[in-house]
Amino acid sequence: MEHLPQDPRPWPVRRDTALQDTVLQTTLTHVTHRLNNARIAAYRHYPSGEAARIRAIARKREAIQDWSVLLDRAEEEITAHGGHVKRAATPEAVGAYVLEIARQHSVKRVIKSKSMVTEEVQLNAQLEAAGLDVRETDLGEYIIQLAHEKPSHILAPAAHKNRQQIQRLFVDTVADAGEEVSEDIQELTRFARNKLRQDFLSADMGITGGNFLVAETGTVVVITNEGNADMVTTMPRVLVSIIGIEKIVQDWDALEDIIQQPALSGVGQRLSSYTTIISGPRARESWEGPDEWHVVLLDNGRRKIHGGPYQDVLSCIRCGACLNVCPVFQQVGGHGYGSVYSGPIGTVLSPLLGGMDAFGELPSHLCTMCYACQEACPMDIPLPHEIISLRETAVSERREPAAVRTQYRLWGQAWSTATGYRRSVTAARLAQRLAIRRVGLAAGWLHTRTMPFVSSVTFLEDWAKKHRRGSS
Amino acid sequence: MAKAALFVTCLVDLFEPQTGHAAVEVLDRHGWQVEVLGNQTCCGQFAYNAGHLQEARAMAQHFVEVFESSDADALIGLSGSCTAMVIHEYPDLLRRAGQSRGDSSEESESWALRAQAVGERLVEFGEWLHHEESLPLPAVKPETVAVHHGCHMRRILGSTEETDDVLRSYGAQLAEYPDAEQCCGFGGTYSMTEPVVSTKLADAKRTALSQAKAAGASCLVSGDWGCLLHLSGRMQHEGDSWPVLHVAEWINQREKMSAKKGE
Repeated sequence: MEHLPQDPRPWPVRRDTALQDTVLQTTLTHVTHRLNNARIAAYRHYPSGEAARIRAIARKREAIQDWSVLLDRAEEEITAHGGHVKRAATPEAVGAYVLEIARQHSVKRVIKSKSMVTEEVQLNAQLEAAGLDVRETDLGEYIIQLAHEKPSHILAPAAHKNRQQIQRLFVDTVADAGEEVSEDIQELTRFARNKLRQDFLSADMGITGGNFLVAETGTVVVITNEGNADMVTTMPRVLVSIIGIEKIVQDWDALEDIIQQPALSGVGQRLSSYTTIISGPRARESWEGPDEWHVVLLDNGRRKIHGGPYQDVLSCIRCGACLNVCPVFQQVGGHGYGSVYSGPIGTVLSPLLGGMDAFGELPSHLCTMCYACQEACPMDIPLPHEIISLRETAVSERREPAAVRTQYRLWGQAWSTATGYRRSVTAARLAQRLAIRRVGLAAGWLHTRTMPFVSSVTFLEDWAKKHRRGSS
Repeated sequence: MAKAALFVTCLVDLFEPQTGHAAVEVLDRHGWQVEVLGNQTCCGQFAYNAGHLQEARAMAQHFVEVFESSDADALIGLSGSCTAMVIHEYPDLLRRAGQSRGDSSEESESWALRAQAVGERLVEFGEWLHHEESLPLPAVKPETVAVHHGCHMRRILGSTEETDDVLRSYGAQLAEYPDAEQCCGFGGTYSMTEPVVSTKLADAKRTALSQAKAAGASCLVSGDWGCLLHLSGRMQHEGDSWPVLHVAEWINQREKMSAKKGE
């Protein structure tokens, strides 16, 4: 299994499919604008929020730097509370471990709260292949699970669908024969809630992701706006929390600042509607909670990033703010990226986790270098510079067509001297006279845009002529 | 008399020389002596953003050599994006590029410091004019215009308000339109290597700008010819002849109108 699932369609196909999808174009514009405006308003109405954000960045960067020690501490604490910790290096290791627990407990039905890391390891596919019945309980994830699709937005997985499509999907997949399904959004939500109630009550195992892992108490924190994680963590007999190792946070003091950031930047709320805190399985004297709690700590390429030039990317809290402001994301949506991690963060993270062979085209083709993501990122991750750096890697690994590489080399060489620059002006004029314009990189421009001609007298030529006698 | 060395930029030099001439006239009116270093070429951003670090390094070093030879009081750049490139990217670029080709750290660091010194003297045209005292010229009738700020002017230099203030002080009424902070899709060579998305973004920008046009904006003004060539190239391709102007050209027109009125 690959480290990160990859859409087999090549980029031009993914791109053109997205650009021609009129529903997608409408829903994407709506979702990204709504979330982005909410983010801006939330910070505006929270004057001390900026100070909290700055503290959050500092604490998160420290936690990443010291993650070895903190992860050991978290493991000790979890174990002391009666939990079990598994360190998993690969997607297969996660799947094998969860399946083994399922076997021990004769699990048939699994319910899940929203988790990007389980999308990353394709957990549902792994569990279903072994005959388990898996149900997503976040509304957006529920929708894309029924549609057999991947998330199109880190935070809003079904952002590419409108309510008419969702209504039809419900009718086609989960509605009973003859059951009416309304197109009204509230009614659709009510419908999904009624269906999911049955799944919650009949499940044997709950699976969560984790937004934060607090080292000092060995606590997993899951934030949602639907409250579904509360039921996933309390109703089934067995609970498994699967967490990327970069989710580590040193203590509750740090968490206080960091936990605000995904809510503020993701949905424009001071706090998410529900905060689910898991510190252990049901205690002997307690009535509620799972009999067993397992915490899977996933590496899957993260340790390779640690200590290198992209370490800051491990501070990402998956708020999706960079997606909402990205001009390219707004055009092609998450499926355009061919990775479960989309938008600017996906453009950096996907090749780092999944390799340049699979995702090397993302930095080159899905970024206009507008810096909007860096401005929006609450964790100050230098995404544009990381994208440039990945482009440099692509160049040094000779991933561009040879002709393109040659053009850059010749162009760069020529324009590093005044003589070369002047010669290139002469050459361009000659090409223009011979009507040779659709060549090399310029051809890409000309299909859709008029190209200006090199001036008959450039500014520098004109200046030189007028000031030839040295009087500037 | 204060002296300014003009950082013309390759796009102005090759395709839009009238912008350079307009800037010279404005500088002259404000009492600055203008120096144009004939050896200047391009800041190298097109190569840097595309990941061609060594090509960018060579152009950056040439730029530093050319402009550090000038004793001008200020270096004035005719593009927000290219100005941002020199000020904010050069030092780190020269360090990294030197390191990756095996130069000694002393040599790389020396280049970085030289670039930093040049960057400290460089100012973008709109920002420069914002610091100038206004000319004692009579006001001329207001003109509604649409302004598009390049992303690097907005997010790296952070100087869009300065340019807006300057334009308003010359009688511009800035027409509003949706998503003004959104990228136009140019992105340097991105416009050539990913023309489909780039063009789609140009069209999104044109759709948004149509509101400014409907509000009576006579033209589109920007401090960056990169965005303007991309947008006007798309407009012309689609048979739309709405004028586009560099800030320096629009200001020069206004100063000329004022001067004429004052005669």
